[in-house]
Amino acid sequence: MTAQTNQSWAASRLPCLASLCACLNARTMAPGGSYFAAFPFLIAVLAAFLSLSGIVLAVFYNPWHAFASVQFINRDVNQGWLIRTYHATGTTLIFALAYLHLFRSILIRAYRAPAEFSWLMSVKLLLVLLLTGWLGFVLTGGAAGHLSLVNAANAALSLGGLPGAVGLWFLGGPAGQGTLARLEVFHALLGISLLLVVWAYFASRKAAAQVEPAKAVAFYPYYLAQYFAALAVLAFIFVLLGFYAPGVSGVAANHIPAGGLALPLGAGVPWYLAPAAGLLGVFPTAKLAVAAAIVAVVLLYALPWLDRSGPDGAKGKVYCFFTWVLALDVLGLGLAAAGVLPFSPVLAVLFTGWFFFHFLVLTPVVTAMEAK
Amino acid sequence: MAEPTASHAPGESRRDFLTILAAATGAVAAGAILWPVVDALNPDQAAEGTGQLIVNVSDIAENTAKTVQWGGLPVTIRRLSAADIAANQDELVVPSTLPAPADFASRVNAGYPSFVVVVGLNTATPCALEGDSPSEPRGDYNGWVCPCDGSQYDPLGRVRKGPAKRNLAIPRYTFINPSQIRLG
Repeated sequence: MTAQTNQSWAASRLPCLASLCACLNARTMAPGGSYFAAFPFLIAVLAAFLSLSGIVLAVFYNPWHAFASVQFINRDVNQGWLIRTYHATGTTLIFALAYLHLFRSILIRAYRAPAEFSWLMSVKLLLVLLLTGWLGFVLTGGAAGHLSLVNAANAALSLGGLPGAVGLWFLGGPAGQGTLARLEVFHALLGISLLLVVWAYFASRKAAAQVEPAKAVAFYPYYLAQYFAALAVLAFIFVLLGFYAPGVSGVAANHIPAGGLALPLGAGVPWYLAPAAGLLGVFPTAKLAVAAAIVAVVLLYALPWLDRSGPDGAKGKVYCFFTWVLALDVLGLGLAAAGVLPFSPVLAVLFTGWFFFHFLVLTPVVTAMEAK
Repeated sequence: MAEPTASHAPGESRRDFLTILAAATGAVAAGAILWPVVDALNPDQAAEGTGQLIVNVSDIAENTAKTVQWGGLPVTIRRLSAADIAANQDELVVPSTLPAPADFASRVNAGYPSFVVVVGLNTATPCALEGDSPSEPRGDYNGWVCPCDGSQYDPLGRVRKGPAKRNLAIPRYTFINPSQIRLG
């Protein structure tokens, strides 16, 4: 029996399975695609990989003795140190790819009609990643993660109203031992839901891609080979990071167990949360920070409609320049949050202001001017 | 991908070779990445550590037994007296006449026939058995008695009187030397 008859056998009995797969990827694609277009594929692979290693970690993780159970995984579980390295290095890489993918999407205006939904899913991917990554950081039971959790819980307490109620529901009251048990569940659910987001991204990207049949090339073998070449490069970077810089996704203070009121100096957040922490950190009250976060998310989502150049507008040089400036701005936010820049508090305010200025003012004005 | 090829041009065989090389490398890489994920779910070091128990049997006097807890079960190690061995030979106690037929050799380790290692739980009502020490009730066969339902076992752990119908279970064990047994 050939594969072809197998497929039709299954497809005729479970048609939705075939359509689920068929809407993921086009059989033919436009030629000359960039290697950078493989980022979502790599993100999907990493999301599956993180789910797999996360399931193994969840078997041994104990939220009631979080720090001790992480040490147990490191020392006593077969290959436990390696599984943790998998999970930590995979986190660093999936965040790097998500940031780069968003940057590239803005740079080449991949968000324009009819691909708005792909853009919405790209933003959603980063948002879900940020929340999942923060939860994972907190779950380690280290001093830095615990401090971050206490701050978040206190902010939720101070909010009041509906946001405060939602925050308290999510965290289960002031940070206590039981908090980590629920956060473990949320971490796992959000992490696995990443796969759904990635699926929605692929499906919408396929629907948006218009290829002239005469010019199209087959996905297999041309693009599949390209994807696998990209995967090999990713694997190489993964090995380099995993074995030569396994602590790159962590925070030094997280190697101290959480406990009491002893808080280490310089307890920061991992690099992948730093831009968000820098942006939220400039606001003096929790209410303002939440409002700013909501505005930032809405602005990101609204980018296809903030771009006034229309569906056929040419790529403008000025817009590209400001997109690079935005990338530096986000980088600067992260560095300012880490406190490595001189005058970090002042610069963080500046960078945050520029972030909003870019989307609210620069994007509509520059795209409208360049479209003429 | 069996493509009909009329000729084996040099270029084509090179492509075949590269395809096989790439697929093989990919398979090895995927296996190397996934193996730790599978291996991690094997018993961890703590479970391995408590999974095996070494018991000193040199302090067990003849005609008495010692019960240790292992794997959540009472494991009873009994040292047979010469009389016990003689009374339970297959000529005297014909295996086929027992409720659960088992010969002498199947109940002991061939190298150490004076030791019987069994799970000391009655096989009908799961009660801990009496009879480790000669001062405890041992029933009609000088073995063990269940205080709950009265089932009787002989020194080899074979059931001799109901309501139990099965012999005492024999755990996995190894003689390290004449005075030490490793359970598990």
